[in-house]
Amino acid sequence: MAADLPPTDLPPTSAPQISQAPAVSAALTETRVRVTSSFTGARIVLYGAVLDPQDRPSDVVVIVRGPDQPVRMARKTRVAGLWVNSRPVVFQGAPGFYMAASTRPLEEIAGFGTLRRLGAGIDHLAINAPMEEQVETRYGVRDVVVSRLGADYLDWRRAVVRLKEKAGLYDADSAGVRFVDRDLFRAEIDLPTEAPIGTYTTEIILFQAGEPVYRRTRSLVVEKVGLERALYLFAHRSPWWYGLASVVIALGAGWAASVAFRRS
Amino acid sequence: MDFYLPIAEVSVNGPLLVVLGAAVGFISGLFGIGGGFLMTPVLVFLGIPPVVAVASEANHVAASSMSSVIAYGRRRAVDFRMGGVLAAGGAIGSFIGVEVFRWLRLLGQADLVVSLSYLIFLGVIGALMLTESLGAILRRRRGEAPPPRRDRRPVWLYGLPFKVRFPRSRLYISVIPPVVLGVFVGVLSAIMGVGGGFILVPAMVYILRMPAGVVVGTSLFQIIITTSLTSVLQAGRNQTVDIVLATLLLIGGVLGAQLGAKASARFRAEELRALLGLIVLFMGLNMGLGLFVRPEEPFIMMLGNG
Repeated sequence: MAADLPPTDLPPTSAPQISQAPAVSAALTETRVRVTSSFTGARIVLYGAVLDPQDRPSDVVVIVRGPDQPVRMARKTRVAGLWVNSRPVVFQGAPGFYMAASTRPLEEIAGFGTLRRLGAGIDHLAINAPMEEQVETRYGVRDVVVSRLGADYLDWRRAVVRLKEKAGLYDADSAGVRFVDRDLFRAEIDLPTEAPIGTYTTEIILFQAGEPVYRRTRSLVVEKVGLERALYLFAHRSPWWYGLASVVIALGAGWAASVAFRRS
Repeated sequence: MDFYLPIAEVSVNGPLLVVLGAAVGFISGLFGIGGGFLMTPVLVFLGIPPVVAVASEANHVAASSMSSVIAYGRRRAVDFRMGGVLAAGGAIGSFIGVEVFRWLRLLGQADLVVSLSYLIFLGVIGALMLTESLGAILRRRRGEAPPPRRDRRPVWLYGLPFKVRFPRSRLYISVIPPVVLGVFVGVLSAIMGVGGGFILVPAMVYILRMPAGVVVGTSLFQIIITTSLTSVLQAGRNQTVDIVLATLLLIGGVLGAQLGAKASARFRAEELRALLGLIVLFMGLNMGLGLFVRPEEPFIMMLGNG
């Protein structure tokens, strides 16, 4: 029965004495989030266990990344007494959803370099504005003119994070991973309604003495289903027919109401 | 009861939208305006992305206007020929407006242009309507005769070529002013997510000098054509029409419009105009004032990557 075999990246339970290396086993309560017409966000629970024969002190960091979504930002500046938008700047590499949960504050768990390498923590996200001056012409519009944002770059970056946090799309919780039993831990992933559609990766990293000693990845799919999916695809695959259909519905409803009122 | 909107990608309270749709539909039927200028800001306030609000609202306006225009048509209060000429201009305007809107979105200036348009057009028209209609009400109260109408035949209006007879409006004028008016309203329809009735109604009264009885119905007739076209163009070019949002709004909208059209017979024309002027002025100032206040959050995130 191949289906009953444990996943290969788990240490074989029959020979615990061979594997002295620590490991983590984890699972999500849901691996598919179905976005239907009643979708108002979802809470997914991650359960996992630290498997370490030597019982060394361990920290667990859970990082959830949604599909990358370029962020288009503008800054309001005052021009002749009016607050108007600057030219938009496009930031690449920003995930559409990001959550970092850990047993302790990240900077207590590992050093700066390690965290940066792992992309663990909002501060270590690679959100890049185009570094060199770049002029993209789309539809005859010089969409983005960005040289180095220079000293302002940090302001912009902080604003990206702040606005994403406000929308519930970025979250850092230094007490988000809790040990509920000796080796058993638990974390919650809250997806807001605005969470992007796509495949999310959930990375569970086990830290011991400031070093990542074991990583395990679980994936999570957020997908539109049923009518929502059908309408979305209709709108994007045959937009002109979709537009016609919406107008026919509107005019038909208007006509039906007036007929109904005349009879009554 | 929350509904997830597949295009806007947010969830909204269904019954609330139906009630809002009905309220705006009532106003629409009462004044012969689409009501988009009231609804679009409310939708944005509820967290729907402005581009989706503007495009879906055009659809809602088409439904409410369809509902009430039939009621006006039965009273022979629609000048279909004038409406057709206005709509021909409106069609051209919609094409231009959708492209302009697309271009503004790419520049990141769509918000600014929308707010400025609201401030300028609604502010000016609201103020003009309010003064004019309050004056009329005061004169009636004092029992004064209405002031003699000024030159009934302005040269620029009657001296132009391509004259056409509009029997229902008892006019024989050039088609150029109505076409130009239609183009202008079509552009606004696409940019502001409005039907343009708040501009058409006063323009037909004061500029084209149409009889008051056919103004409202004719305005609604032209709004249907312009907003239907805008809906199709927005869906086709920008994929921003949310059919679920539009349907929720129009369920209430078509019913409200019927009640509004019935209620309109009970009020005096100048009282209706005064009330409409007040609403228009208020919305214009409300949208425009945001431009002068220092924003709490200086950065804004925009939809899509262009």
